[in-house]
Amino acid sequence: MNNWTERIPGILKAYEPDLLRAVAGRLCKPRNQWPIEELIERSIATLENTPVLDRRLRELAQPSRLVLALMAHSQQPRWRIGQLIEMTVALTPDGGLEPILDLLEAGLLFPDLPEGETINAFNMWLAHGGAHRPPAVIAPPLLLERLLAGYREGAAIAFDEALPPSTTLLGVTPLETDGLDWPLRLSVLWQQVSAAPLRRTQQQDLFKRDLDRLHADPLLATTSSDALVELPDPGMLAVAWSQALGLIENKEGDLVACAFDESWQDGLPRLLVRLLASLSDVAFWNPAQGWQVEGNVGNPYPSAYLLTLLLLSRAAADQWTRPADLEEWMLRRHPFWAAQSGDGAKSNGASRPPAKTNPRTGRSATQEPALAVFLLGLAYPLRLVQIARDPAGEPLVRLSDLGRWVLGLTDNPPLQPTFPQTLLVQPNLEILAYRQGLAPDLISRLGRIATWKTLGPACTLLLEPTSVYRALEQGETSEGIVRLLESRGMKGVPTPVLEALRTWSNKRQRITIFPSAALFEFPSAAELTDAMNRGLNAVRLTDRLAVVPAEKDIDYRHFRLMGTRDFLLPPDRCVEVQHDGVTLSIDLSRSDLLLETEMQRFSELSADFHPPGRRIYRMTPATVQAARKNGMTLAGLQTWFLERTGLPLSPAAHLFLTAGEMPPLDLRRQLVLHVPFAEIADGLQQWPATRDLVKARLGPMTLVVLEKDIETLRSRCAEINVKLQHGDE
Amino acid sequence: MEAKARIPVKLHRRVCLIQTEDALLAEEVLANKKLAQDVVGRLADRVLLIRPGRVEAVLQELQRQGHTPQVMG
Repeated sequence: MNNWTERIPGILKAYEPDLLRAVAGRLCKPRNQWPIEELIERSIATLENTPVLDRRLRELAQPSRLVLALMAHSQQPRWRIGQLIEMTVALTPDGGLEPILDLLEAGLLFPDLPEGETINAFNMWLAHGGAHRPPAVIAPPLLLERLLAGYREGAAIAFDEALPPSTTLLGVTPLETDGLDWPLRLSVLWQQVSAAPLRRTQQQDLFKRDLDRLHADPLLATTSSDALVELPDPGMLAVAWSQALGLIENKEGDLVACAFDESWQDGLPRLLVRLLASLSDVAFWNPAQGWQVEGNVGNPYPSAYLLTLLLLSRAAADQWTRPADLEEWMLRRHPFWAAQSGDGAKSNGASRPPAKTNPRTGRSATQEPALAVFLLGLAYPLRLVQIARDPAGEPLVRLSDLGRWVLGLTDNPPLQPTFPQTLLVQPNLEILAYRQGLAPDLISRLGRIATWKTLGPACTLLLEPTSVYRALEQGETSEGIVRLLESRGMKGVPTPVLEALRTWSNKRQRITIFPSAALFEFPSAAELTDAMNRGLNAVRLTDRLAVVPAEKDIDYRHFRLMGTRDFLLPPDRCVEVQHDGVTLSIDLSRSDLLLETEMQRFSELSADFHPPGRRIYRMTPATVQAARKNGMTLAGLQTWFLERTGLPLSPAAHLFLTAGEMPPLDLRRQLVLHVPFAEIADGLQQWPATRDLVKARLGPMTLVVLEKDIETLRSRCAEINVKLQHGDE
Repeated sequence: MEAKARIPVKLHRRVCLIQTEDALLAEEVLANKKLAQDVVGRLADRVLLIRPGRVEAVLQELQRQGHTPQVMG
């Protein structure tokens, strides 16, 4: 509930000044014109002031008190307005929206506003709510606690007098469950989702593969042995309920497992309060039709669940009620069904599939409340109600002691017998868990370390490499697992089990993944050693590299950062090629982690002096040829040069890389003819008489002539009065 | 007491890497075609750099191969 306490100041800040003054005027009745911030502070102080809250509660009209009482009994401080209206209309002719508006204006209820939204009038805010975001309200937890305290002191809320009939049964033994069935099922579902997330369609349904998986699961798909009626789609209820509880969450379209929260550590009664409270947030499932993604707008069951339990609370502790009588009451009083009973053809969801017809009443599943299914299939396994049979064998229900406490009707939950030694660990890695010793904390821990195989009076689990691995990944240790099995076991842990746990645990140490680590690169091994001596909590990778799993653990006072590089950024140009084409100089302030591993593939660290801030690598024929042998291609090296130096591959590097593929180079003896002007060389290359005698042109004024053609060239040149002579003549 | 000089260091943030128990295991990882595609470099005999954004895929493939990697941080 603390989360809601923290939210209320933020909500008050979202009120426009006029609205805030009006609300604070009723809540804390200031005598002066206070600034807005002061008004908010005073309003919060009032909501934490017990005597003032009691006064404000006494000032409220009966229907407004009824709204708060309903929220208090649900132990859920957030409710959709539509559901509150349904409940108040069912209970009193004065119910509806008015009491809720009255409480909003009195500062005793607050709109559940999204971050950043402001509000200037409550009726405008209500008008903007839609089916995709139904408006909801939050009540201050202390206010609800005061109401419950008042109830326990005898100041009961007024209900309609026409309660369902109840009866006294003599000589019957009430049936009551241990309440562990759903905590166990939710733990099974958590395991399933941990193993493989459930994928959601855009319509919020599950993909067929996951639906099939849940429908075929032997533990989730079957109705509990505790339940007296068949619950429709129990596996899907487990999914919806786990999501409402925060045991699984929607992450980018996938339902993934979260950690078990603290409500699993506080004992069964507290967990049952959470389970019942979150039942009002269960979407897409109801006891009449099971899993219903389409046409789920206006689900009346969250309000019907609470009304049903509150109706049972109005009967004396030894009185029993027929579920059918509760259904009849709901059919007449709850606006969802009362409206439909007036017009049988009118249905809330146009696209719903045809529902089964109840042979007793002749109505379809959408036209009557399936409260018997809720009571006998859900509330009974949750230990909220007790069951007895009348002489005709018909089931009758009444609230259990635990159910009364869950509704806030008694001060303390019934005492639970404890059986600490409840596990039997067998050499074949099976764990037998006797139900009488189980509790939510043990269920959640067992669910982490072993796989549920059967649920029953004695549940079985199996220790597997995957389950132990999952537990270790979630912070359990091998020693912790052994301690748990020994402290809760009826016998010592067998040696094969200890050995298996040790083997699996050691195997996990073989590969370590750092998904987003901070890696320290030191100039030399000495600096790394110095850093470790100063307490750097790091894993040494090489003589100069150390990895810190969490960057927040680094004490930066010991370090002078020479550069920071984000591994996720693309490669940077941080290498210069020297004039020799083989020397590569790295700018260390810009280089990334990949660079040197890349360079070591085709070059080697230079033994020469490295200027400050730079590191020198050198390509040699041997290093480049080695790279070629290891699969480096010309195109690959060219790309690397362009990315890292901004220049094309140096000719020297090109030579080193392609030298092995070249044919033998042709070494020839030939003469070079030097001419005084380029035009003369052009002429000799163009004139047909000399053209064939010029074998190549080396430069603008140099031509190649074969030795054997010299005399022919000499005579041709003589025809145009050009004389040839040897340079050394 | 004389204050110690700060240690010069270069910091690489958000690095994804695998450290294996021995070099042979690193070779085994590299021998797997799917995994090798996501390994962009080898910092040391036992240390492999993973392509950014591919950690989940590498983790799943390692698990599929029967390994039980420890995820740090």
